[in-house]
Amino acid sequence: MKKIFIPFALLLLPAVTKAATAATALEGHLQVGPAIILITILTLFVLVGIFFRAKDTNDYYAAGRGISRVGSGMAIASNWMSAASFLGMAALMYGTGYHGLAYVVGWTGGYVLLLILMAGQIRKYGKYTAADFIGDRYYSQGMRAIGAIIAILISISYCVGQFGGIGLMFKWILGIDYAWAVLIGGAVVLAYTLISGMLGVTKNMQIQYVIIIVSFLIPLFILTAKFDYFWLLPQIGYGSVVSDAITGIPLNETGQLLNSFGHDFAMVPAPEYAMPWDPSTGQTFFQWIAIAFSLMVGTAGLPHVIQRFYVVPKARDARWSVVWGLFFICILYWSAPAYAAFGKILSANPEVGKLAKDAIVVYTAQLGNVHPLIVGLLAAGGVSAAFSTVSGLLVAGSSAFAHDLYVKVINPKAPPKKQLLYARLATVLMAIIVALIALLDLALIGQLVAVAFSLAGCTIFPLFLLGIWWSGSNRSGAIAGLIAGGTVSLVAITYFIAGKQGVTLPAHDFISYWLEAWYFAWIGAPLAILVNIIVSKLTKETPIEIRKFLIEKVHT
Amino acid sequence: MKELENGFHISFFKPTTKHARANRNMVIWLVCLWIVAIFGFQIALYVFQKPTPEPSLEMYEANWKQVKNNTATDQQLRDFSYAALSVLGKVFIEPGHKAALDKGLSLAVFHLSDSAQSVMVSEQIAKFEGLASSISDITDEGYKSAKAELSETASQILGLDKSDARRIVLPLELVSVSDDELSEGDIALIEEAMPLYLTHNQSFLTDTKFLGFPFHYFYTAVFLLILFVGICWLYCVRTDRINKKLNIAD
Repeated sequence: MKKIFIPFALLLLPAVTKAATAATALEGHLQVGPAIILITILTLFVLVGIFFRAKDTNDYYAAGRGISRVGSGMAIASNWMSAASFLGMAALMYGTGYHGLAYVVGWTGGYVLLLILMAGQIRKYGKYTAADFIGDRYYSQGMRAIGAIIAILISISYCVGQFGGIGLMFKWILGIDYAWAVLIGGAVVLAYTLISGMLGVTKNMQIQYVIIIVSFLIPLFILTAKFDYFWLLPQIGYGSVVSDAITGIPLNETGQLLNSFGHDFAMVPAPEYAMPWDPSTGQTFFQWIAIAFSLMVGTAGLPHVIQRFYVVPKARDARWSVVWGLFFICILYWSAPAYAAFGKILSANPEVGKLAKDAIVVYTAQLGNVHPLIVGLLAAGGVSAAFSTVSGLLVAGSSAFAHDLYVKVINPKAPPKKQLLYARLATVLMAIIVALIALLDLALIGQLVAVAFSLAGCTIFPLFLLGIWWSGSNRSGAIAGLIAGGTVSLVAITYFIAGKQGVTLPAHDFISYWLEAWYFAWIGAPLAILVNIIVSKLTKETPIEIRKFLIEKVHT
Repeated sequence: MKELENGFHISFFKPTTKHARANRNMVIWLVCLWIVAIFGFQIALYVFQKPTPEPSLEMYEANWKQVKNNTATDQQLRDFSYAALSVLGKVFIEPGHKAALDKGLSLAVFHLSDSAQSVMVSEQIAKFEGLASSISDITDEGYKSAKAELSETASQILGLDKSDARRIVLPLELVSVSDDELSEGDIALIEEAMPLYLTHNQSFLTDTKFLGFPFHYFYTAVFLLILFVGICWLYCVRTDRINKKLNIAD
């Protein structure tokens, strides 16, 4: 397919109307009801965090390994269902139609890989963190340190999108400037993570899951019922909304179906919303495949996701918790496209004006005349989704620093109290860095999060995959593979940042297309695996103790 | 012990135990299913797709030459206006394309008007533009009534049906124009915009309906996710069975 050289950002600019637009009326003032709901939910989270507070490092890192399968599945889902899932996915589909489904498929399909290739084995390996595994399996303190640094970078990259989502929702609820919203929201999530640690986080995650899913589904039932679609199962009922968007909806002469500004529930035909790789979106078949693949391998390499398998008692529980987790995740993923479809029609009148795509879920509910308190619950659900993920990410990042870098590499005799102190300091530092990057508002939430996935897919995924399934993969191979994957990541991210700064590097268009920041793992991951295999074959084999451990502990 | 003979080497593709063999076979089957289901379908979608124009594009292509050369009949101008409105009604459109189409549409409306209508339309556009730039709330009664007035007049000139959704777009896209014809730049932008926004990749996979969805959309957005949960469930059940059969405790 011919690549359309229309700058993506330009293409996504909605029609600029000469008329005043309604977009500003949807926010910009304190929404009292939603604010009360948000404060209540956050207070609940903090209380649960205090009640289940981490008492020692074992609790802080792995929640005492006392979580049930279904509970762990809920925690996996809550940990997973971030602002990118809750807000970002609908935003991508709203903006690019079928192309956005690559994110839906990528973020769910990756769990299949994670389960059948890794979950049980990771639990059997019996380590606390991803860096722990890498350091032990590749018998190298240097690799442990690098693994920890990569885990921190991934956590930061992932968190940036979440802070963006928190900022957007705080902005909507409090009616304040985006920058202040990011800083206030960031401070609240930081305080909560510091108070609770992972034990509180895991308990909270189960509560958060329920809040997230309920808040996401209620407005959808209302929207489908209100606009006369099959509301008993909105995840199927919205199929007709998609078809209506394709064929167009005539003006309703009875004037019964209106959005909150009194605009008819009508639109001209918009097949670009659902047709694959539509020329007007500027997205291609290759990009769809590359995004889906990158997100899938990234899923199986994300430290904070892998880390969740350490908190279940047995390998069998680790496996079943993935099934539960994926099912719970899918409930939201089946629903998110419905918001995009309704959003498309409800904002079709040019008078609605430019809407922030990342808040389209909330705007859709508002435009659909859903009761303000229910819209408030929805926004609070968005904040919860971001909170649950940020907490997990900050714990994973701080664990990587305090446990893998400080204790295992720098000061092995550090007492547990000092470890906990360093973990908390690392959490604060990471939150500050993330907030500063989030203020730059670099891209859509889903895209920012996808960067973390590609980074994980190029670095950690190959190390885990080969480390578990091939004893021939040795230290030299791992280092070489990491260099290959790391180089691809560095090039892609450098070009992305340069592009954002308006700097044109050599072969900019070529690299930006084939190694876009949200999908560079399509080539980085296979390359890292290939290099790892070749170098491992050519160098000294893995020590017998590691091979024995793999046989006796991981694969028996 | 095979592991000892083998020097404790583990390889997914060369399993040394019954359990490892059973696991390998199951994983290969499931991964193949997973790959075919995801990528196989997208490849099929890509292979079978055909760039398909919306009816509006065909209407535009049949009349554009005459519109461009100022030799269009009234019906040709109307058809061009319908096609332009079909693009202007899309949610995301590049500002440059929009400006050129706004101008083309407005000129067509003026050309279709008699002298009295032309004066009336220009006055209504000027009034509406003035109100649009001065009010902060689109529910303002004066603004709404000016919009309705302009919509009615222009829709009558274009012969738009009462239920035609393009009526929503029409008053918001008419602009005051000082030129009498489109510039070279406007023509180039319109010629770029129309096929870009009005051509879509379609096939029997996109045109078939299933549970209200276009089939390809249902497959990717709904079915694939069901399949993923199914694959995971199957893997866990089979693994439990294999472990039980071989007396392997987790």
